[in-house]
Amino acid sequence: MAAKTHTLSLTDRISARTVAGLMALVIGSILVFGVGLFNSQALHDAAHDTRHSYGFPCH
Amino acid sequence: MIVRLLLAALAAGLIAGMAMTPAQYVKTIPLIMQAEAYEGGGHDHGVVETTPSSTDAESDVAQGADAPAAHDHDAHDHGDESMFGLGRLGDTVVANLVAGAGFALMLAAVALIAGIEFPSGRDGLMRGLLLGAGAWFCVQLAPSFGLPPAVPGFPHADLGDRQGWWMITVALSALGLWLLALRPEWIARALGIALIAAPHVWGAPVPEDLTSDVPAYLASAYAAASLATTLFFWLLLGGLLGHILSRVPEEQRA
Repeated sequence: MAAKTHTLSLTDRISARTVAGLMALVIGSILVFGVGLFNSQALHDAAHDTRHSYGFPCH
Repeated sequence: MIVRLLLAALAAGLIAGMAMTPAQYVKTIPLIMQAEAYEGGGHDHGVVETTPSSTDAESDVAQGADAPAAHDHDAHDHGDESMFGLGRLGDTVVANLVAGAGFALMLAAVALIAGIEFPSGRDGLMRGLLLGAGAWFCVQLAPSFGLPPAVPGFPHADLGDRQGWWMITVALSALGLWLLALRPEWIARALGIALIAAPHVWGAPVPEDLTSDVPAYLASAYAAASLATTLFFWLLLGGLLGHILSRVPEEQRA
């Protein structure tokens, strides 16, 4: 019983870490994609100097 | 505790993003403004010149999906309309904050998924700096071999092709660097080197006509300034991330 509980909490630890990583990856990708790559005129104009400064392919 | 991790990454990203705007105003943005004076003067991507007006801007957006290369420079006037009504400086501040937060979340995600721990004190900071340097290699240096950071008005190939090559190069460089740096097997390291080299062997999209009105001095100064400024950003971000994540207690780090 005790061993089972331990295994469960260990799996929880690993999965919580992975879940946090995947969530951060998804949210971060959306933000970076919006600032750097999304092909909208309004976003492009607002992020223009940032896009050039980071060397994102621009125009 | 997932929320704590995300907040820690966000804090590091917002601080680094905030520092990025003044850093860009040292060199890169003055060079962008200088280059814009040459932009659209004569041969603009072989597209017929149009006067900047709202109708043109709209038709430009409409065409954007079909022909991204035909998108005309003169249609974007940075001074007049701003997305948040903050002007050019304000827009750049906001964009840098969002970019900082996004890059920080992605960097934290890589550290979490790759199983990189940040011990407290100096070691956590050093690992963060190394992680930041690695990210600079993947996101800035590796793509810059094929697509050097370019000022406005520079000749360029199709936007979609370049963005595709850029994303593939960043992803393969990150995967390759992970295999090279964090896997002990020699076969994994060899594969890592192959992955990093692959997009450059394939070749980045290059424009057919390389002539430009923008002086070469501006372009080379810009490429160096962009790489230096982003190195500052990534080291700051990595160091902050290492420092902040090392202070999230082990039992709360999940």
